[in-house]
Amino acid sequence: MSMSILPFGLVCGAAASNAGLTTGQALAMSWVIFAGSAQIASTQLFAGGAPLLVILATATVINLRFLMYGASLAQGFGGLDRRWQAAIAYLLTDQAYALTIIRRSGSQRPAHLHWFYLGLAGATWVCWQLATIAGVLLGNLVPPSWSLDFIVPLTFIAMLVPLLGDRPMVLAAATGGGAAVLLLLPLQLNLIAAALLGVAAGMVAEKFGGGR
Amino acid sequence: MIIGIGVITFLLRFAPLALLARLQLAGWLQQALRFVPAAVMAAIIAPPLFFAVGAPNIVPDLPRMAAAALAALIAWRTRSTLLTVVLGMLALWALQALLG
Repeated sequence: MSMSILPFGLVCGAAASNAGLTTGQALAMSWVIFAGSAQIASTQLFAGGAPLLVILATATVINLRFLMYGASLAQGFGGLDRRWQAAIAYLLTDQAYALTIIRRSGSQRPAHLHWFYLGLAGATWVCWQLATIAGVLLGNLVPPSWSLDFIVPLTFIAMLVPLLGDRPMVLAAATGGGAAVLLLLPLQLNLIAAALLGVAAGMVAEKFGGGR
Repeated sequence: MIIGIGVITFLLRFAPLALLARLQLAGWLQQALRFVPAAVMAAIIAPPLFFAVGAPNIVPDLPRMAAAALAALIAWRTRSTLLTVVLGMLALWALQALLG
């Protein structure tokens, strides 16, 4: 399961080195940030010459979902000491969250859930670092005519489609995607504005749509 | 930039774990957060399909749009990241060869 992030990490590394980041900076991103979607988006914004504040704000919106994951995990991990919580927080990813929740919802509540999480999220971390390194090294070798940058949207499509389980969610995605295309905002503010519009559309649809 | 994003990301991950043993997120906020991943991902996917690199006007990139649509279908049917990426990439190459 941790392996499933390998292609994404490869692309992240390649995108970073193509955007003009040095090898050291590209690797530092994976180390310091360790969040694929935010890494991709910020390298794209960086390459497009967006101001620092816009990059930071966009990364913040993209990673807002960690608030939701953290809030949910706090039910199981809230009682651990600060060092455990810091480690869990740093290693938090979409995959680690999803699998931990599945494990927790099992019939008997596992006693050592935090160890399960540590093993899973740690393996994901190692895979991510290795994949980014490979991506940085390979990114310069592959010619642009191969269109390998298309792997980025493909990975996101693979993650997005399974989320579209109900109508408000579909509307949130459609609004986010449509607004990102149609809004011509300065300073590369499209992404953040489109994301917020998409969230708003989803909430409105849920409020007035009644049942799912 | 990197350190800034890193710090923000860590705080977003850490704050709820550290604080929410006592506090609860407001209901509307939980509701809003549910839609963040879908809205963000769609907003990242869509623009490159409609703009050739750097172009100011909307110039649909037909091979990419068709390949993306096919990939979405594959993702829906198989729920497999690997199949979606591999078949989507093959589709793009085939379409680029056909449509020039």
